Amino acid sequence: MTMMVENEINWPEALRASGRESSAAVDALRGILLNGLRIVLRERSDVGEAQLEDFTQEALLRVLERLDQFAGRSKFTTWAHAIAVNTAFTELRRKRWQDVSLDALTADGHRLQELMVMPDDPGNDDEERAQVLEVLRQAVAEKLSDKQRVLILSVLRGIPFDQIVQLSGTTRNSAYKLFHDARRALKHHLTTAGLTSEVIRTVFAL
Amino acid sequence: MSALTPEQMEGLFRAIQLTREHEFDCSECQNHLGEFTEKQLAGLPTDEVLARVAHHLSLCPQCSEEFVALEKILRAND
Repeated sequence: MTMMVENEINWPEALRASGRESSAAVDALRGILLNGLRIVLRERSDVGEAQLEDFTQEALLRVLERLDQFAGRSKFTTWAHAIAVNTAFTELRRKRWQDVSLDALTADGHRLQELMVMPDDPGNDDEERAQVLEVLRQAVAEKLSDKQRVLILSVLRGIPFDQIVQLSGTTRNSAYKLFHDARRALKHHLTTAGLTSEVIRTVFAL
Repeated sequence: MSALTPEQMEGLFRAIQLTREHEFDCSECQNHLGEFTEKQLAGLPTDEVLARVAHHLSLCPQCSEEFVALEKILRAND
């Protein structure tokens, strides 16, 4: 294993093998994933060597569990690094946002339309912008569910889907779908009111 | 309870504006992230599937953060 260039290794085959070959492949991959995580996390003061090792071990287990899902569209190690990054970053986000209160988010989210105020930029036509904002407020109030309002507020405040998922007991994909459906509903409402993407871009100088 | 900041309002308009009928969710994005990152670094053209990855990254801060990290690893290992 160590004599071979990384790209020449048939990783799925080596990892599925039995005995020493598999063990060598697992060790080699562990080292590769650990180096990758070091590269992206070395500047973070909240991540020590022990945590890097934990992330690596967790990522390695996930890679081994998902071997059948590797479709060969990228190098195997790229695919494995992506899983390792996802594993580490998901956990770091969970820790960062663990104190967020669902009750506070929910209370604010239900009143999202009231929190929407016109950006203070005197260089633009305030009347036109106020009209667009009013249509959007109306859409938020009438077209979205409470869950969707909470989700949109959370996303705008930078709270990751992972944390919303944990708080609300859903999945990351379900949360994203809810977010997507909310955006579609708002876009449809704005478009129906004659406010196309081009109009919004112009009015708000996006 | 505090009002949304101008940046958050702008983010909301941008998110609405970027909305498409069919979008990748996080899992679909993750499934193609390796290929997308390799092609981006190599300057290779992307197909329709990878264009969907790019679109998802423009809307999902978490997947975008992971793309940047993966890019950094691949650059360092190049």
